[in-house]
Amino acid sequence: MSEALFQASVDAVVRGDAKKAEELARQGLAEGIEPLVLINQAFVPGINQVGEMFGAGKLFLPELIMSAKAMQAATDIINAAIPEGNAQEGRGRFVIGTVEGDVHDIGKTIVVALLKANGFEVLDLGRDVPTDRLIEEADKFNAHIIGTSALLTTTMPAQQKLEEALKKAGLKGRFKTMVGGAPVTERWAKKIGADGFAEDAGAAVVVAKQLLATN
Amino acid sequence: MSQKILTRMGDGERLAMDAQEIRDDIRRGTAEAARRAGVPELTEAEQEELFAILAEPGRIVSVEPGREVIVTDDGCSMSFYSGQDGGGVGAPLSRLQAVLTYERACGADTTSMGHSDYSYKPVKPIINFEANDYYNISQVTTAPFLYGAQPNMGLYFQPDGPCANAAELMPLGKIDEARAAQEEACEHLRRDLVFVGRRLAEVGLEGLNFDTCGSAGDADYLAALQAVEELKKDLPDLPIIMGGAGEFVLGMHGGVEYQGRRLAGLYPHEQVKVAEAAGVDIYGVAVSTATTESVAWNLARAVTFVKAASEASSIPVHANVGMGVCGVPMMEQPPIDAVTRVSKALVQIGKADGL
Repeated sequence: MSEALFQASVDAVVRGDAKKAEELARQGLAEGIEPLVLINQAFVPGINQVGEMFGAGKLFLPELIMSAKAMQAATDIINAAIPEGNAQEGRGRFVIGTVEGDVHDIGKTIVVALLKANGFEVLDLGRDVPTDRLIEEADKFNAHIIGTSALLTTTMPAQQKLEEALKKAGLKGRFKTMVGGAPVTERWAKKIGADGFAEDAGAAVVVAKQLLATN
Repeated sequence: MSQKILTRMGDGERLAMDAQEIRDDIRRGTAEAARRAGVPELTEAEQEELFAILAEPGRIVSVEPGREVIVTDDGCSMSFYSGQDGGGVGAPLSRLQAVLTYERACGADTTSMGHSDYSYKPVKPIINFEANDYYNISQVTTAPFLYGAQPNMGLYFQPDGPCANAAELMPLGKIDEARAAQEEACEHLRRDLVFVGRRLAEVGLEGLNFDTCGSAGDADYLAALQAVEELKKDLPDLPIIMGGAGEFVLGMHGGVEYQGRRLAGLYPHEQVKVAEAAGVDIYGVAVSTATTESVAWNLARAVTFVKAASEASSIPVHANVGMGVCGVPMMEQPPIDAVTRVSKALVQIGKADGL
């Protein structure tokens, strides 16, 4: 029975059917399936499949957003069923923005959708975000990770500026940092001292989870 | 001990790999492209030819005599006078001097000019100045002189443009509104592309380049196709070059179609057919370089896509060999060892008609 429910849940997420995903989440809990088992075996494989299809150009942004919403609807129900004190470690809080001087936000939007779909609380500051604002908002949001996107070689130095500002403010240990964007590379991330680099939205989720685990 | 071959990662980092590692990466790269696009992998013989190109001991390599192709310029002369922050060398040259230097000193096959923003939208309000510059320079150039820029539909969304911002609406789940905003932006973009093309044609435009089409998604790509079709009705002899933005058309809208064909998710061998139907004369295939994979992997992947596009196409295919594209490492100054290997492989194995 569980297997059928798991597969139906995967299908609901892939189709972006939030109503069905909610119904299946409730059904799974009613059948006595452990909440964490339900998330990890019924819904996470669905969103992973969506991520792969998006990366291969087989599924597109509107569908990705619908799937992310279906995933979020199901996980909200399941998370509420986890007993106090038994909860999985808190959801990662991620502040993200395109750096100052850069108005490109399409890639960042995709990263936000996938992070949310994977259970992160995301504060999206939009584009052209000054370094000071990234830090202020991360502080208010009590973020675990600050992620910045830069599409231009001319705006990449703003990612370095963030690292320097965090060090100067003594906050480098408090927030992990991730960088991304078309011209951004692993080498650049190492050079400026960022904690993580992701080549695409799928990789951003993986790296964010790794960073969260080391927090 | 096996002999090490000097090569690079997709981010340009130098590394030495042994022959088997390079062959393995070639195999993985071509398989990845074939799986994604549903096209054939490179044959064993082609993989060996690619290996031989990568393993050539010289710092630079070149195609065999008789297999030379022409290079379509997309803004090279701008690199002469723009500063380092703009990816150029900051030489104190005017537009005219830069184009002539590129043509006469560098022996360029084609030359071009474009607005320094490299988008069509900002050209509209200064079209008279651009047309005047174009005319003056075209009077002293010999090689085909193109006007090029990117459609860049992102500039039509708020706060830069009149349309609601699709990238903000989409995460809120406002799918219909986001799609409507893209359709509206697509229409503005199409009009501007046609406007600039027609005005430049009045002063004798020798060729128009729609570069990096689809960078803002499938509606951006559609605007370029529609603009080509419209321009070709009035100006059938105006050569138009259209280049892609990546190996597949990004589905930001997901539902737009051209002549009954959904554009989102089209791979190069499919892109070239819709471009051809619109009236494009030369199609520029672009394949994003993965910085965490080797040049061998990236190049095998790019050659697989380009070969499939060349075979499917009835118009010339010019592969893009710019920074971070088609196996060229993502570096501000792409390294010559990798650029020449990429160029040779795309021409000899990918059967690109030009670069």
